Amino acid sequence: MSDALDIALRLIAVFVAFLVFPLVIGQTEHKVMAHMQGRLGPMYAGGFHGWAQLVADGVKFAQKEDVVPAGADRRIFQLAPAVALLPYLLVLVAIPLGPGNVVGQSLDAGIFFVLAVMGVGVLGSLMAGWASANKFSLLGGLRTAAQLLAYELPMLLAAASVAMAAGTLSLPGILDAFHWWWVPWQIVGGLVFFTAGLAELQRPPFDMPVADSEIIFGAYTEYTGLRFALFLLAEYAGILVLCALTSVLFLGGWHGPFGADGLGWLWMLLKTAVLAFGVIWLRVSYPRLREDQLQKLAWTVLIPLALAQIALTGVVKVVIS
Amino acid sequence: MAPENPEKKSGWPGSGLAKGLAVTLRTMTKRSVTEQYPEVQPELAPRTRGVIGLFEENCTVCMLCARECPDWCIYIDSHKETVPPAAPGGRERSRNVLDRFAIDFSLCMYCGICIEVCPFDALFWSPEFEYAETDIHNLTHERDKLREWMWTVPEPPALDPAAEEPKELGTARKAADKLAAQEAAERAAAQQQAAGEAPRNAAREQEGEA
Amino acid sequence: MTLAAASHGFLSPTGVEIAFLLVGLVTLGAAVVTVTTKQLVHAALWLVVALGGIAVEYLLLTAEFIAWVQVLIYVGSVVVLLLFGLMLTKAPIGRSENADSGNRWAALIVAVASAAALVWVVTDAFRTTWIDLDGAVQGSTEASGRSLFQYWVLPFEALSVLLLAALVGAIVLSRKNDDRERSDGSERPGSGKQSGPREQSGSREQPGSRERPGDRARLREDQG
Repeated sequence: MSDALDIALRLIAVFVAFLVFPLVIGQTEHKVMAHMQGRLGPMYAGGFHGWAQLVADGVKFAQKEDVVPAGADRRIFQLAPAVALLPYLLVLVAIPLGPGNVVGQSLDAGIFFVLAVMGVGVLGSLMAGWASANKFSLLGGLRTAAQLLAYELPMLLAAASVAMAAGTLSLPGILDAFHWWWVPWQIVGGLVFFTAGLAELQRPPFDMPVADSEIIFGAYTEYTGLRFALFLLAEYAGILVLCALTSVLFLGGWHGPFGADGLGWLWMLLKTAVLAFGVIWLRVSYPRLREDQLQKLAWTVLIPLALAQIALTGVVKVVIS
Repeated sequence: MAPENPEKKSGWPGSGLAKGLAVTLRTMTKRSVTEQYPEVQPELAPRTRGVIGLFEENCTVCMLCARECPDWCIYIDSHKETVPPAAPGGRERSRNVLDRFAIDFSLCMYCGICIEVCPFDALFWSPEFEYAETDIHNLTHERDKLREWMWTVPEPPALDPAAEEPKELGTARKAADKLAAQEAAERAAAQQQAAGEAPRNAAREQEGEA
Repeated sequence: MTLAAASHGFLSPTGVEIAFLLVGLVTLGAAVVTVTTKQLVHAALWLVVALGGIAVEYLLLTAEFIAWVQVLIYVGSVVVLLLFGLMLTKAPIGRSENADSGNRWAALIVAVASAAALVWVVTDAFRTTWIDLDGAVQGSTEASGRSLFQYWVLPFEALSVLLLAALVGAIVLSRKNDDRERSDGSERPGSGKQSGPREQSGSREQPGSRERPGDRARLREDQG
């Protein structure tokens, strides 16, 4: 009985994190982006510096009519947001928050699980793009697919480098094997992983698939109300997952200069928050890459870098063993 | 990755990217320029063109403002009244009496030409700006409302220390000087006249004054 | 692995075995719908269900690593590629009546034959051996890696060579067009660094129609 209770508690904790942290990231994005542009951002909702803006947005989205275009493929159109959102919820289960057993569910092939399921999330965008019966949506879906195919590979290679270094595929296992000098050792892989992850999430500057100024909002053009909100939530949950994953794989997760026993979770959250800030910062600073630049960056820069990182990892691994 | 820009070759690779990040980070640490208007009143320049006030007493219904207005947003109605002659046996005078003076601020483009052309200083800029209405008809401000605005007109700024005197002051001073000179001359003449019979007169004056 | 006789028999299935059977049925159903539906994109999406079902089967057999690789490669990449191809060419919403091919009987025969061959090989290879799900995990990453690189190195390397050959072949096929263009217009200057290729071709007295396919080929190359 206590086993079932334990599992239920863990799942509830993961679910709460899944609901809270994306909103926190979204609110941070509102405010950070505003201040980086010399604005204030939301100031009304909730009273103190507009802290409840996203709650208000959610209420607004819930009130809106859920429109399905007449020419759309109804069932797939309605299914797509769930397909986009659920994988991130599943991924969150496998990410360790602290040392020992502070993880939703420890998996033997954690890296593969996480990357595989994140890849499935893109399927939601593809379904949405196709089922909307809208040429802009279709274009967005196409770009999403092209981008995923290009950036999945460097992401996998960079993650494989860490797995090689740690000698395990399990995320808690990787953290147990972590030493501080892994950070400089794997830094190239980390950059490749983070960049490729950004591209897979279609965050600026890699937001060609949702480029609102040319294809409106890509695959999400026809979506309204709650389903649209689910897509947005998926984007921010994706940021959370990517940042948490990067800090687990490349920055040592709950390892910190001090207080590793009691404050591990704090280090993990801190690293994730810093990376999320970086995601927002990049969005504000850089213009959108063109589609061909996007592909070129993946195939001519990131993949060679990732391969070089794997070679370096292999050499160092052989030398020190 | 990025194509070389011939204009700025300087810097290590990626320095442009870092520069971009630095710009946004620096902006984040600065105060934002957003005006939080309803909560915080904006700091306006002292001679802000907010609304136009009417100083009715100065208006002679010359209609210059209404005619110069590019938007035709000034409405003036008046009638003539006869004024009794100033002196008995003189001719009756007539003068214009203002019945209606209204400015339609839904049409006004705040060019200020009416204020410039008014020869009698009856129109003034006021910095008040919070007169939004839910009905567009209410934006036509009648003379009582225009007079209300008049009380919000700020005092004219002080002149520079070395500035020329304002013209009206100069004229007034000239008139006063002229008057004073005249009086002085009269007094002098009176004194000269009285010089002969001074002792008697002086005694009488002292008595009278007492 | 143990013999079936040593384990509990067929008639008293455990929960995992029931789940295995049910997921297998779902997978089979999804696979059948994949090949019979008249809506192209639906077929691709049903394929996702079928492939996902197989991944779940792997999971139930404790082969966690294989399961996630299945999801990663097939659901995450192959189906996305498939959908990409469909969207790029023709993906009407609704039924496309000409989706059937005249070879359906031949395809059915091939499918049944290969299925029969696979089933026969597998049953012949394993017969009554049974995976002991309650004991030590036999499909973990470590176990898979160990068996792959201890007992099956040669097939693994042969497969790698096969894939490499396919990769090289793909590159050769995609570059062939470009090479012919280059040998035709050999006087074409090396890729313009100062100005765009369009302007250069304009300044040359070459017909524009000659330059265009080369440009387009380069564009295609850029897009990978």
